[in-house]
Amino acid sequence: MSGKRILVVEDGITMRMFYQDVLGRAGFVVEEAANGVEGLEKALLGGFDLMIVDINMPKMDGYELVSRIRREPSLQATPVVTISTEAQDADATRAYEAGANFYIVKPADPVLLVETARLLTGAQA
Amino acid sequence: MPPKPGLEPGNAAVALKKPNHAPKGAEDVPHADLAALTLALASPEAGERRRAARELGAFPEAGPRLCAHLGSEPAASVRAVILTTLIRIKSPAVVEGLLPLLRSEDSALRNAAIEVLQEMPAEVEPHVADLLADPDSDVRILTVNMLSLLPHPKAPDWLAEVVARDPHVNVCAAAVDGLAEIGNESAIAPLQALAARFPEVPFIRFAAAAAIRRIGGS
Amino acid sequence: MQPNHAFAQTAPAIQITEDEYEKFYEYFYRRTGISFSGRKEYFVEKRLLERIAKTGSDSFKAYFTLLRFQPSGEELQHLVNLMTVNETYFFREDYQFDALVRGILPEITRTRRPGGTLRIWSMPCSTGEEPYSIAIQILEYWSRADEFAIEITGSDIDSRVLADARKGIYGNRSLQRLSPELRKKYFRRLGDDQFEIHEELRGSIEFSIANLSDPIHMHRYRAMDVIFCRNLLIYFDDTSRRSAVEALYECLTPGGFICLGHSESMSRMSSMFLPRKFGDTIVYQRPVEQD
Repeated sequence: MSGKRILVVEDGITMRMFYQDVLGRAGFVVEEAANGVEGLEKALLGGFDLMIVDINMPKMDGYELVSRIRREPSLQATPVVTISTEAQDADATRAYEAGANFYIVKPADPVLLVETARLLTGAQA
Repeated sequence: MPPKPGLEPGNAAVALKKPNHAPKGAEDVPHADLAALTLALASPEAGERRRAARELGAFPEAGPRLCAHLGSEPAASVRAVILTTLIRIKSPAVVEGLLPLLRSEDSALRNAAIEVLQEMPAEVEPHVADLLADPDSDVRILTVNMLSLLPHPKAPDWLAEVVARDPHVNVCAAAVDGLAEIGNESAIAPLQALAARFPEVPFIRFAAAAAIRRIGGS
Repeated sequence: MQPNHAFAQTAPAIQITEDEYEKFYEYFYRRTGISFSGRKEYFVEKRLLERIAKTGSDSFKAYFTLLRFQPSGEELQHLVNLMTVNETYFFREDYQFDALVRGILPEITRTRRPGGTLRIWSMPCSTGEEPYSIAIQILEYWSRADEFAIEITGSDIDSRVLADARKGIYGNRSLQRLSPELRKKYFRRLGDDQFEIHEELRGSIEFSIANLSDPIHMHRYRAMDVIFCRNLLIYFDDTSRRSAVEALYECLTPGGFICLGHSESMSRMSSMFLPRKFGDTIVYQRPVEQD
């Protein structure tokens, strides 16, 4: 297992622990950021194969974070999954328009999470 | 880094120029006039609006007007200063002015309201029951997020109540997060019962167990 | 009847569990950006126990409740003071001085006419090590230093440290990170542990009083291209910190940069600034667009 690196940007502590647990067991190396600004900082320092970004965060929400990521030359190709409490099509559309590759509704199902992460990072099962 | 054939200290003056920051005069003095400041809040210059928002902190009665202005203020930097002023004013009128923003379509505005409300434990308290009973689950989630950061001694019990009773999985999930930091014994039973309330959601079982561990139960 | 000779009983030593440490680290990081991962737990334990005793708390749980729910945030401030070591010396956190000449100044001057002014502010400057380090870094390592008028200001709230900064006399401890060559080049030995920085540098930096919480003071400092505000903001309470960050925003020119201390992050403080990366260093930029 090559240990693909995932950055999780999520303000909820138990949700971060959950991602760490589910994705860690699947062989990924998971780093965390607790808000959008911190997420941007860590993304800039680089080396991630995938970013999982919560939409509903204070100070800088997921849409803005994804837009800023896409403006960074070094981050344009990094796959991004957005996670939101909203199940409406409009919200998914907005996420895709901001530059997300995929959109999952919270709380994320562990199997879907791992399969999505494998698909987007090219990691083997 | 290799030193380049650079400037010798003796030639520092070639590059370094000593500045002068003596006090200037009239522009240092803040405006004292509520009417002038209210006008300045509508200036086309973001810097002027920031200055007005800052100086309005001297006028607690400006709270409601500042809350109302938030919704139409385009500049993030001005909104930030308005929030700081509202935190300083810290009055029941400010809370009343911010509550409607919890229903805004604009997530930045909703979170801006929370940023201020979470600093006002006493002023927020009378509204908590209504907010937690709001038919809109998004409003309840925001309220729970706010309660998770509010330095109010009742917050742990409010959150435990949410976990015990709220029908919406994401509202409960937000409350579990808050309890992971501030939960006490009153939360243990509701947390233990939570997985049974949402048996088809693996995250809930995980999160409840994590929160129980953090509270120091087992 | 024998008096009851109880043996002198010390209260059982308070134990902090792993879960409690995790909860504390999480909370402290959220509030201050200071992370203890990898750091000796002993360091944290000693200080926590100290505060637990000082506050008369009978357990970590009781102490954490006090800490967490105190509206004034005073106990948190006590903890921050205890948990941070604030020593000043030349080229402290030198990667930021590297970022200055390799990344920040080149970007700023890409579109700036030669002969123009660049303004750099070290705030707080304490006894002067930081602004002098900036000056030395620029003179030594920035190839375009002679094309611009570089104004370096050092400010602090404490007039005594400013007086020391103007004198520019330092001991070995302060110079520990300087190579012998740079030491020889920029300092004159006055005694075993006394080195005076070159007169031209002393003369070319302005040292002035400034109080970040005083808006009238802050009016004087405008159009700064780069501000070094390292290891100061963590000591403010939340509301004062918001105002201080807003004051720094006003002092910066649009597109200007601010460097914080190594364990500080704007992510804990404000979203007015955008993170930028130079090398492996994160600095923050005031947006260029007029919002």
